[in-house]
Amino acid sequence: MPSADAAPAPARASRRAGGRRPRASARSGTVGGSRRADTLAGYAFLAPSLVGVGGFLLLPVGIVAGISLFRWDLVSPARWTGPSNYQSILTDPAFGRSLAVTAFFVLLVIPLQTALGLAAALLLDQRLPGSTWFRAILVLPWISAPLALGVVWRWLFDPSDGAINQLLGHRVEWLTSPTLALPSVAAVTVWTNVGYVALFFLAGLAGIPPQYAEAARIDGAGPWQRLRRITLPLLRPTTFFVLATGVISSFQVFDTVYAMTRGGPAGRTEVVAYAIYREAFVDFRMGRAAAMSVVLFLLLITVTIAQQSWFRRRTTYEMG
Amino acid sequence: MRRLFLILAALLLAAGCSIAGGDAKGRTTVTFRLWDEQVAKAYQQSFAAFEKAHPDIGVQVQVVPWADYWTKLPADVAAGTAADIFWTNTSNFGLYADNGQLLPVEFTGDWTTSVVDLYTRNGKLWGVPQLWDSIALYYNKDLVPDPPTLTWDPAAPDDALRATLRKLTVDSAGRHPGQSGFDPQKTRVYGFNAAFDLQAILWDFVGSNGGTWQSGDTFDFADRPKTVQAVQYVVDLINAEHVAPPAADTNTNGDKALQLFTQGRMALFQSGPYHLKSIQEAAGFQWGVAPLPNGPAGRVGVVHGVAAVASAKTRHRDATVEVLKWIGSADGQRPIAEGGYAFPGVTTAQPVFVDYWKKQGVDLQPFLDSAGGTTFPAPLGPRVGAGQTAYTPILQQVFLGRLGVAEGLRKAQDAGNEAMKG
Amino acid sequence: MRRAVLTYLALGIGAILILAPYLMSVQTSVKTPRQFAQQPPLAPPRPPTGANYAELVVGGHTLIPPLVVTVQVVVVVVIGQLTCSVLAAYAFARLDFPGRDAIFWVYLATLMVPVAAVLVPRFVLLSETGLSNTFWGIVLPSMFGSPYAIFLLRQFFRAVPQELLDAARIDGAGHPGVLRHVILPLSRPILATLLIITAVTHWNDFLWPLVITSGARWQVLTVAVAGLQSQYQGNWTLVMAATTLATMPLLVLFVLFQKHIVRSITITGMK
Repeated sequence: MPSADAAPAPARASRRAGGRRPRASARSGTVGGSRRADTLAGYAFLAPSLVGVGGFLLLPVGIVAGISLFRWDLVSPARWTGPSNYQSILTDPAFGRSLAVTAFFVLLVIPLQTALGLAAALLLDQRLPGSTWFRAILVLPWISAPLALGVVWRWLFDPSDGAINQLLGHRVEWLTSPTLALPSVAAVTVWTNVGYVALFFLAGLAGIPPQYAEAARIDGAGPWQRLRRITLPLLRPTTFFVLATGVISSFQVFDTVYAMTRGGPAGRTEVVAYAIYREAFVDFRMGRAAAMSVVLFLLLITVTIAQQSWFRRRTTYEMG
Repeated sequence: MRRLFLILAALLLAAGCSIAGGDAKGRTTVTFRLWDEQVAKAYQQSFAAFEKAHPDIGVQVQVVPWADYWTKLPADVAAGTAADIFWTNTSNFGLYADNGQLLPVEFTGDWTTSVVDLYTRNGKLWGVPQLWDSIALYYNKDLVPDPPTLTWDPAAPDDALRATLRKLTVDSAGRHPGQSGFDPQKTRVYGFNAAFDLQAILWDFVGSNGGTWQSGDTFDFADRPKTVQAVQYVVDLINAEHVAPPAADTNTNGDKALQLFTQGRMALFQSGPYHLKSIQEAAGFQWGVAPLPNGPAGRVGVVHGVAAVASAKTRHRDATVEVLKWIGSADGQRPIAEGGYAFPGVTTAQPVFVDYWKKQGVDLQPFLDSAGGTTFPAPLGPRVGAGQTAYTPILQQVFLGRLGVAEGLRKAQDAGNEAMKG
Repeated sequence: MRRAVLTYLALGIGAILILAPYLMSVQTSVKTPRQFAQQPPLAPPRPPTGANYAELVVGGHTLIPPLVVTVQVVVVVVIGQLTCSVLAAYAFARLDFPGRDAIFWVYLATLMVPVAAVLVPRFVLLSETGLSNTFWGIVLPSMFGSPYAIFLLRQFFRAVPQELLDAARIDGAGHPGVLRHVILPLSRPILATLLIITAVTHWNDFLWPLVITSGARWQVLTVAVAGLQSQYQGNWTLVMAATTLATMPLLVLFVLFQKHIVRSITITGMK
């Protein structure tokens, strides 16, 4: 194990933190060696995952793209229809609505769960006695299977006997109100995910050498400045990952909606993933479900590329 | 860290060993799939007797949870891994029957006629009746001492049902709907379980008013004045009369009405025999079963049946047919009847079921009468499930009072029929 | 001092908000079905009963066989997925070869496909090879690495200071050596995080095991728990007990591994 000279001198860390943005050598940062050897090693390292991703993701995805050009109810033979599934979903106001519902859902969930997750991680990172317990409590909702917790939330939201209305002292019809249903589902999603998001930030914080903050403290930076100037910039790779996968997974949220509202009232919580599930397994329109998946797929790629370029302008940590 | 990996490796090894184990008996195995884990135990008993008589055939029972049954089944059919025999309901079997996925039933049995009718399509019978449900009225004897015989008439300004339900409904101050100061938000006891429940409530009222729901494989209710009138009547019970829980409570929680009944907070609960066991286990009061309310067209209730169907892709057709014959016989269905689970599809096995409940002090005659009288057909057609999911959100809005009945039924019918086109 | 008080206050409020709904499911698990049906869900259990738990451990609804299957599945998937993902992430983060970025983007793109959509094609493919209703049918799709894990690890591997890698290379370490002796020790927090996430994901995975298996032999916990409910009978007391039980092993795993998540990797502290 090389005990490298890498311990950054406090002064250097402080210069990084106070001055230019931290710059990892990731972009050009390969492990030196001949390019041919690298190519060989690269593909050797990739081989197992190429099998997995190729066989169990890419191939099925290709099949889905193919199915989107057919009419198929799983039971009778598929019939070629060309692009008509795309025409039909793109002119279907219900699909447009479910995209809008999903976008609104993502806008509600992502800022909240990221901010709360980060806040929780920062609080826990102070390592006060008892943090272990708080950490365990924080992840409880996330490690429990969604079936039981979905129904508990339905009890809590029950208009007549639910705990929430009893605390409020008056009747609110949370899950059947056109304006409150989606925020209610979003709140439960945030509740479930905060601990999970906090885990990444905790791991990210653990990866920041304490010398950096120490140096800044010596230079006279207050806690708020240290957070803004050192911690948050150094957390960017984590933040990017949390946001990117958070957006992708909330675009695909299904369990909570299924357990709480089944898309109701009048489609106000029918997110895209639920619509796809319904098309495929309730209505048996595999072709339309596949076409919806392809549209969602393209949409998510666009969003992720946009996120990526937004982040890239701010740091050099991100993707190639 | 290293110790942990050792532990993991040991576990992995254990996994590998237990994976290697397998079993092979020199006999044909027929797989049988259903969604009810309780009834599965009755079938296990039944198949034990069958295997004794047929040493060359083994039956393997698979339970797939109800909530996911209809997700897994089409995937299995598409991949050719469906069970040899599986349970189905009326909404779902049409798709498989119409696409040549099922073996027609080419033997006869002593089966309940209404269920045989439900599974006869294009002149052939596709399933062997296993269980059936009809609808009647559970009542809480603490609140309703005598078996209620109720009539209703949507054309009359007031009728016996509405008057009775108002009397039974009480708020926390002891006032009834219609009295000044009655607060529907503080209802202590509800009279009735009017709600968006197609099988137990809506279709029965529609039928008892002489209305229709389906013609052939298409929905046909929006232009039927009798249907519109009956739906309006049920919705008014909730939103105008306040004798039933608000739809906001029942739309997203299908168990709500049953819970209110077992909590002693609902006087009359219209439902099927599928709730007998839950009520028996939970009710802390005396209860009984009465006939459905009598409407302008008489008492017309839904009869729904579950059938066992055989996959056309079975690899051992003869053995499969043998098993199917067995579960279509009185001997084969006796454990289901003896356990008190449901009315068995074989007529001669029914007295066993009725006796089970007689011993528990419950008279099932109203269910038998309901099934023996005029009945309202359960949903049918290869894509009726898609139609129902399409109109459900619209009808839920009607029950919430956010959409007028006539307008809502029109929209619901259009959406349902559009979805059924595929 | 004041800061510690405020921290505890914030953590305490958070803990209550998180625990209250969770405790409601635990409270339901110690009620009799009869009490559950007769009283509102909020009513406290009187008296608490262990009957639901007994039923799930030694009774007719024993969860022991599905528990064994689930442990096997999770162990195989976690080991396979972590190993394959680490290798791939190293290649993406630290090696330069033609096609690298294109392949990475393709991997990333597969994250964006809804699960419900690929379910049927994947199932038909595996059934064609005779793997339906087998152990390998459950684990194969996830044991060769996941794009999610690869993406996560790549983000962290890229942040390892170049100086360390160069030093290792000068000392004559090859790529496997660099990975084992430099990258992995530095990535312990994220590896522990990933291990927990992978274990939780596959412990709670429902749709895939539901579709690929039939019957009791390879039934996993989630499918067994869903099977406690029938069409008209929610059996919520039993389901809540089952959920509480099913969460316990994950909680133990979390407590075991969490110290790795939060243990600071100070670069000078490397041994």
